Amino acid sequence: MTMAETGDAPRKGLRNGLLDNAPFLVACAMLTLIVVIYGTRQTGVFTLDELNLNTTAAMTLMLAATGQTIVLLRGGINLSIGGMISLGTVIVATRFGDSAGSVILWSGLVLLLGIAVGVANGLLISIFRLQPFLVTLATWSILNGVAMIILPSDGGRVPGWWLGFGYLQFLGLSSTVWMLIALLIFWAWFMAARPGITIKATGSNEKSAFLSGVSILRVNALTYGLSGFFAAAAALYLTTQTGAGSPTIGRDYILPSVAAAVIGGTSLFGGRGHLAGTIIGAYILTLIGNLVFILRVSSYWQPVASGVILLIAVLASAIAEKAARKQAA
Amino acid sequence: MELIDVKDLSKRFGGIIALSDATFSARAGEVHALLGENGAGKSTFIQILSGALRYDSGAIHVGGSEYRPQNPDAAQSLGIAAVFQELSLIPDLTVEENIWFRHEPLTWFGTTCRKRMRAATLELFDRYHFPAIRPDRELRHMTLAERQIVEIAKALAKNPRILILDEATSALPAIEADWLLKLSRQIAEEGRLSIFISHRMGEVRAVADRLTIFRNGSTVAVHEAKAVSDDQIVTEMIGRQLDRLYPVRTASRTERLALEVRGLSSGHRLRDATFALYEGEVLGVGGLQGHGQRELLQALFGAAPSKGDMKLWGKPVSPSSPRDALTGRDGIALVPEDRRGQGLLLPKSVSENLTLSVIRRFSRGGLLDKQQEAGLVREMVDFLRIKADTPDQPVGTLSGGNQQKVVFGKMLLTEARVLLLYDPTRGVDVGTKGEIFRLIRDLAAKGYAILFYSSDLPELVHVADRVLVLREGAIAATLSGDEITEEAILSAAVLDKAA
Repeated sequence: MTMAETGDAPRKGLRNGLLDNAPFLVACAMLTLIVVIYGTRQTGVFTLDELNLNTTAAMTLMLAATGQTIVLLRGGINLSIGGMISLGTVIVATRFGDSAGSVILWSGLVLLLGIAVGVANGLLISIFRLQPFLVTLATWSILNGVAMIILPSDGGRVPGWWLGFGYLQFLGLSSTVWMLIALLIFWAWFMAARPGITIKATGSNEKSAFLSGVSILRVNALTYGLSGFFAAAAALYLTTQTGAGSPTIGRDYILPSVAAAVIGGTSLFGGRGHLAGTIIGAYILTLIGNLVFILRVSSYWQPVASGVILLIAVLASAIAEKAARKQAA
Repeated sequence: MELIDVKDLSKRFGGIIALSDATFSARAGEVHALLGENGAGKSTFIQILSGALRYDSGAIHVGGSEYRPQNPDAAQSLGIAAVFQELSLIPDLTVEENIWFRHEPLTWFGTTCRKRMRAATLELFDRYHFPAIRPDRELRHMTLAERQIVEIAKALAKNPRILILDEATSALPAIEADWLLKLSRQIAEEGRLSIFISHRMGEVRAVADRLTIFRNGSTVAVHEAKAVSDDQIVTEMIGRQLDRLYPVRTASRTERLALEVRGLSSGHRLRDATFALYEGEVLGVGGLQGHGQRELLQALFGAAPSKGDMKLWGKPVSPSSPRDALTGRDGIALVPEDRRGQGLLLPKSVSENLTLSVIRRFSRGGLLDKQQEAGLVREMVDFLRIKADTPDQPVGTLSGGNQQKVVFGKMLLTEARVLLLYDPTRGVDVGTKGEIFRLIRDLAAKGYAILFYSSDLPELVHVADRVLVLREGAIAATLSGDEITEEAILSAAVLDKAA
């Protein structure tokens, strides 16, 4: 009689569901608010063109933040994303020839390098039981240095056709919107398949996962390898926007990639988070820039606004967490 | 034919010998109890069997072939599944996702097939007569008892030849504990082996065919359960005669009210509780688990919001946070439910843990008076007979019983004289249990007022002066003196109309 009686009523289940998703819902509300303000100040906001344009602007951050979300879900953090992005753009800008063959070859090599660096991060963390923060801080510095050695200042070149990638359209949607759809489909599949579940579970409770037979070494290699892959992809995409390599540009994506994930409801403690939230977070951080421009205030307000939004997101998840705990007690 | 045969198994952790030439053998079709005090090596043994730890020397044979598990996967593929005391569950997954974790039924796309997973879960629940649990709830919203049941389901989902239950009943309410005993028998009757670990002698009696006793990392005896007395078992476990598990109860209650509670309610699990606790009294709290005991102690401690009147030593109070409840000689201190999660910082030292909540007392202008601190710590370690090499030893390396003593020490150092004890002997070995009971009575004799919740009925019967029985969040009966019997507590806890 005792167990059955302590079981959840459906209403409580719904409440738990709302509380669990509170950070994500708050992020959606903030994005809606921003879009509405944007829409009252500017015509043509609610058009496909605007979606295409903003997605194209946000895609580097989205790719970097995808790589970050995977690592955060595992309960880690990846600062080396910044170094990988810098190094990736530098390799592209110095090695790409005009032929498609050369572009494909070097793109593939950049992606492979991203995976290799990520796997190395994961192995270092698990074999020597090091802090992800410190390991990836070190690899960030190393990658950054290598980028500097290859190309000391911004420059290099890419083929002209490579530049327009983000503005290609298919069925009215830009290539980047299609990329975004592909990303979300990949995520839905990944998180329903064993590798994704294992990453999430290990981030939720590493000891339990180990006792259930998970190899921590393999999970870390997979997590950071994927993260490195997405950082490399972000680098490739970034060069289609800038047309040049930059040995320092990656640092602009390290903290925003964490911020986008956290705003979208991903927990820094692992086990909880979703790419949809991260994408919302990336849109918010990108649109804030537009908004500051349209409101004609100093661009220094952009980081202020981003910070306030991050605080609101963190507060929302803290309050929801507290309410959920109160209910469980 | 022995299903599992362990010879001369040894394992050390640094300088500590956890197992030394332990032997163990058990047949298919039996329930085999493994007994021993905390620190006797049972947990290490279980962890080795289940592949979570590797052993230094010795040999294990399972089904006649040599077995040297490198990881939990290897153990599982040989049909060994353990229900861990420290649960192996993932808080952010649902019940069914946890049960089938890494063994999910898959679709063609390699994704989890939810429909087949649900069907398999319900079939599993049905086959072993599981208590009602919703398969789609997330683990972190569930109570310890419910999580324990999921852990059992997870082990059974692997359809093991050998099922290891490591103190699995200690987190369960009476009815579910009973179910687990039946389940253990069912496993044995199906021709499989169930290795059963428990500190509760009654359960071992009810379920075990044979028993093996560990002491200090070695095997000291193997018995047919029917052919051995409780006394002999206890003597072999602790290596000496146990004077008496329960201390003599001397009346120490005065007429001075320590705690007076009127109409205390908290959430929907505690309704309108009215009672008084006197100086020098041990007031037991009983009832089936989940009937408001936790809420009562939390409301009194100020860790949960509550309504009602409460007087401490005659003064009205409304504690709104644990810090308020803690302050000084007129305060309240709590030994919490989950000592690992709430009571202790495991990586920190014994002395740091002891003084954590009273650290202000040793600070002079922001600096700690180390000498005064060390003196108090030494006194407390001696008083409680905490077995630690030095006060600087991390608490996580102590046995469960000694960890619990540190929690007591931490509580006593607050100088509060109203003590709330939440199941203080859970997972504590029998020798230390006796020490804790004596400590409770000694404190009462010194004028402390103690509210003592226990999930083990005999403890209430032998230690408490009076017992409040909770049912559905209300006080169903107050028993005192000779009225306190296991039957009386249980009938008040279960029946509509108590005696």
